[in-house]
Amino acid sequence: MSESSSEQLSIIHTKGTLDWAYPVFILASTAAAMDKKVELFFTFYGLNCLLKDTSGLKVSPLGNPGMVMKSPVGPDWLKKVDWNKALPGLVWTLPGAAKLATWGFKKQMLLEGQVPVEELRALCLELGVSMTACQMTIDLMGYQQSDFIESISFSGAATYFANTPKTQSLFI
Amino acid sequence: MLCFLRVDVVDIRVDSKGLACPMPVIKLKKALTQNPEPERVFLLALTDEGGLKDIPAFCQQQKLEWVLLQETPFIEFKVWRI
Repeated sequence: MSESSSEQLSIIHTKGTLDWAYPVFILASTAAAMDKKVELFFTFYGLNCLLKDTSGLKVSPLGNPGMVMKSPVGPDWLKKVDWNKALPGLVWTLPGAAKLATWGFKKQMLLEGQVPVEELRALCLELGVSMTACQMTIDLMGYQQSDFIESISFSGAATYFANTPKTQSLFI
Repeated sequence: MLCFLRVDVVDIRVDSKGLACPMPVIKLKKALTQNPEPERVFLLALTDEGGLKDIPAFCQQQKLEWVLLQETPFIEFKVWRI
């Protein structure tokens, strides 16, 4: 391997929610902008991040105590309330709660100057980030290769490890 | 001295005001790629306060020179190739 480990970034991504998709694409795009060779390996629920249809990328405070859940709209006093702390967890089991939380999260991200996750993903590809979808989990979950965006590759763990540095594998 | 004279020639404006990490870095990188001429000077405007540390770190890693021009009402860096 001609490139040293410090010039590479590799991330194994297994999570299928919107709040987990952002950090991967933010780190990957930044590293690529700094001329690092970036390899992302998406497996299990992480495959959600590579689908053409990103409507499955949601976020929920349910079982997610670290999530800060604030209203992106309304008067200032209302925007300051962290609803994930203020309300009992049971509330997030109600129908529509995940939809509402996802709407609020997306709105908040845009207000804070973030770009939509699809745009960030496209930027990563444009900057030369290499994305691989795990073939085994694609089969396991009944996806087709045509469900996924263009410009990604399909392979297994051995190919991923052959292409990434020996000493660095972040798992997020 | 020659260097100072060159810094004052502003060629490329990069506006990433209102955008959060990582967009200021990405936009600067794109502008650098699209303008490979060594004499180009870039004027980067941003409002993301993280950029105060991130842009110099990016420039150092990419072997670029930089000057912080202002912090208010928005942050402005001048960036050029060594």
